[in-house]
Amino acid sequence: MAPSDEELVERFQNGEASAFDVLVGRWERKVQGAIYRLVGPGEDVRDLSQETLLKAYRGLRTFKKEARFSSWLYQIALNVCRDRMRRGRGRSYVSFDELAETGETGGESGPSALDLIEARDLSRQVAAAVAALPEEQREVVVLKEYQGLTFLEIAEALDVPLSTVKTRLYRGLGQLRQQLVRQGIRGGAPVPAPTS
Amino acid sequence: MDCDAFRDEMMDLLYGEAAPATARRLEEHQAACRECRDELDSFRRLRRELAAWHAPADLVGASRWRPSARPYLAVAAALVLLIGGGFALRGSELRYEQGRFAFRLGRAPEPAAFAAALAAQDERHRREMDALRVTVAQAARSDQDTLRKVQQMIADSEARQASLVTTGLTRLEERTEARRQYDLAQVGAGLSYLDGKAGLQAARTTELMGHLLQASQKK
Repeated sequence: MAPSDEELVERFQNGEASAFDVLVGRWERKVQGAIYRLVGPGEDVRDLSQETLLKAYRGLRTFKKEARFSSWLYQIALNVCRDRMRRGRGRSYVSFDELAETGETGGESGPSALDLIEARDLSRQVAAAVAALPEEQREVVVLKEYQGLTFLEIAEALDVPLSTVKTRLYRGLGQLRQQLVRQGIRGGAPVPAPTS
Repeated sequence: MDCDAFRDEMMDLLYGEAAPATARRLEEHQAACRECRDELDSFRRLRRELAAWHAPADLVGASRWRPSARPYLAVAAALVLLIGGGFALRGSELRYEQGRFAFRLGRAPEPAAFAAALAAQDERHRREMDALRVTVAQAARSDQDTLRKVQQMIADSEARQASLVTTGLTRLEERTEARRQYDLAQVGAGLSYLDGKAGLQAARTTELMGHLLQASQKK
């Protein structure tokens, strides 16, 4: 049975350096995914991921296990992303061109050319809509919708009350719905009540 | 449960995190309230749209994280210290000047050798300066020749221009004189014509007067 994060943290704190390798193997891809969606595609994603893991490595010996390791790691990643965003303020960090270069597709097997184009188009529109959200809402949407964290884990990572997380998510989803409807994607549009 | 309470708990239901009792109350409310049901449905559709944004598959390449590489780092650090110490003992030097690294292996030159090197450098600079002066003088002479050639070309050009102007004036004078002669000839011819017509008219008048005189005498 694979050791839990908490067990690995304890082994690392007891001097077993390789325990951190296991944690990295377990969380690196997820952290990179979160960073990618928070700051946008590009070379920075790996750099920021490395910075996150380095800070985690340096801080893990004094980690007090009051929160989950995952929440703590995401908290570091969020802070790294915020610093990066502040340094590069004004940059449009999710551009359609960059998204096009990543070669994103729907990922399904055997789609038609039209399916691919539509999927890529929708992917870009969603990415742009998420990028347009205020930072607080974007963080919650990314952690919940794309990283699959629980509300409690998000509250720990952001160090805010549980109700604040849900409020930010509700508002963020509402804004995304409006944004996508403006872009002509009506899937999330509220269904009008019948007049009769 | 009212609509405000439903909205407060709706995110739990949307993401499947509602406790069973809460989920039951939420389901009951949305079954009875069309507005809340529509909003929940719209969020569910939105989540399907959001799922279209995929991170690229190659986002994670070979990890550059090597926490277990610390022993290698220690070995590397020891090597750097060893090599650096060796350089220090041998008098080697690594400098960073004007954006470049300068590396000298071995001790600095002795004072006598240094003076000789300086003298050689002075001599080389002197030779370079002399060569530069010769080049500058040649360039000056070359400039004077060029100036003379340019002045000659300007003079030739001015002479050509003067010749052209003179020739043009002469031709203009000739054309003007020819025109004047032609106009005089035209005027003369016109006057002769007028003279001819006036003489003929006078002859006719005289003839008429003669007839009138004869007629009056007959009466």
